[in-house]
Amino acid sequence: MNMAATLPRSPLIQLCYVRLAVRQPQPAAAFATDILGLQPVPDKHALLFRSDERYHTLCLETDKATSSIGIEIADEAALGRLAEALKQEGFAAREATAEECARRFVRGALFVTDATGNEIELVLRPAQSGRRYFPSRDAGVTGLQSVGLRSRALNDDLRLWTVILGAEVSDRAGDVSYLRFDQKHHRIALYPSDRAGIVYVSYGVESLDAIMQSNYFVQERQIKVLHGPGREPASGQIFLRFEGPEGHVFSYAYGLNDIRPDHHPRQFSAQPSSLCEWGSECQDIPELQLASGR
Amino acid sequence: MIELKDLAYVRLGASDLEDAESFATRILGLQIGEQTAKSLYLRSDDRAHTLCYFEGDPGDQTVAFEVEDEGKLAAAATTLDALGHPVHIGNATECSLRKVKAFIGFKDPTGNQIELAVRPERSGKRYFASRDAGITGFSHVGLNSTDPARDELFWTKVCNARVSDRIGDIALMRVNAIHHTVALAPGSKPGIHHINHQVESNDDVLRSYYHLSGERVPIVFGPGRHPTSGARFLYFLGPGEMVFEYSVGVDEIEDEDTHRPRQFGFEPSSLCMWGAKSGRPR
Repeated sequence: MNMAATLPRSPLIQLCYVRLAVRQPQPAAAFATDILGLQPVPDKHALLFRSDERYHTLCLETDKATSSIGIEIADEAALGRLAEALKQEGFAAREATAEECARRFVRGALFVTDATGNEIELVLRPAQSGRRYFPSRDAGVTGLQSVGLRSRALNDDLRLWTVILGAEVSDRAGDVSYLRFDQKHHRIALYPSDRAGIVYVSYGVESLDAIMQSNYFVQERQIKVLHGPGREPASGQIFLRFEGPEGHVFSYAYGLNDIRPDHHPRQFSAQPSSLCEWGSECQDIPELQLASGR
Repeated sequence: MIELKDLAYVRLGASDLEDAESFATRILGLQIGEQTAKSLYLRSDDRAHTLCYFEGDPGDQTVAFEVEDEGKLAAAATTLDALGHPVHIGNATECSLRKVKAFIGFKDPTGNQIELAVRPERSGKRYFASRDAGITGFSHVGLNSTDPARDELFWTKVCNARVSDRIGDIALMRVNAIHHTVALAPGSKPGIHHINHQVESNDDVLRSYYHLSGERVPIVFGPGRHPTSGARFLYFLGPGEMVFEYSVGVDEIEDEDTHRPRQFGFEPSSLCMWGAKSGRPR
């Protein structure tokens, strides 16, 4: 019997957006357009940016000290079932107000806090844009692709993502856990840490050329490259991780593998070569340094 | 017309053969094909050797091309002689040192030492690299030129090279389908500008970038990508300040009859489309 056919599909549809907590919005907004190359979205309330066909994928959050990520849920019924399951499993969850939904351009939302303290927003019907994406610079961005999350309660956080939300572990490098809920190798990566928060926000780019051009582009602007250019053996993606405003880390990535139907989670050793097969060493990202056994 | 079939080998004088061996095996990743008291023969592909270091002056640098047969070689000698290039005909000992059936030596208009060789030896044993650099073979050389326009005429009119592209007045020339086998580089004196080996993949270029950086080998250009040939590259320094290059993905000229050389401006983006700047050792 084909087990995959009998299991319920994950109700998770897509990684929608990141709401990044910043203290100084203007430098962060300038970074989003001038460096990342994202397209600003005119808005009365917030600093919003597009990276693809969606209405927005990045919001600079100045009212709160914590960042959050948005994940689309299939439909209202699925969201209802998730609310119930979260309650039973003892995870904090709260329904968003109409205003909170409006600010996020979604038709419904459930705010969940994982065991670590990361805020995950499960949303319904996030807005698409009718107009195509027009970047601020030619960085070749194709869209928000994945997020690295810190975890200080890995087992409980994994329980939330897999047992309740229906994501699957694709691979592990040391204790770093790559989680998927669509055809891509991962959309979320959990990194053992001593605190909550986002490790990096990763945007897909169209080619290796785009990665390498940005490598020189950011260096010429005295922006510190923290990891890469490199290639992640588990996912196959070529990446460049660099320092953004207020300690936030951004990443460009190209070549994230699709997951094969016969994929079985692999365990990579806790070594630098499990995070970069080319040999780049990570600087100043404690979670990645920890994961590489340093 | 002198018909060059392919590159055959490079001969480089070395002031310290041990040093050259260490670089060639530990850094570059070539296989030692044969070692004598005064020479080190290195393999990069199925040929018996493509690089020879010999005890001597590091300024003594020679590039050899393969020609079809001894008849063509004799004709080439006549042509060069008529044009006023003194020709040296290799004797048996010299041929044996080069692992060829026959060769002649001469200087191009800049003064670069060129050899034309017949039947360079292949090896029955497959190439087995000394480190996993992914090398697939010796592929092209850059030659210093004191007058690129004049030297282009020599390579294209006296020899059978064709211009694939130009950067400013610098011609990238091919003798077969590969985008370029000889690249001219402006220089004040003769000499080899760089020696290229192809590697399997882009991953190999970047792996070597980190490996060589870790070994404190001066990286002089790259990692980068040439907009002309499309190749991803890394240039670094070897013994005697010789520049070596790894690259992958050199285009082939698909239609020999219709290809027109493209003109690129003489500016950094014509040398690297990623934004790497050359000549900054780090």
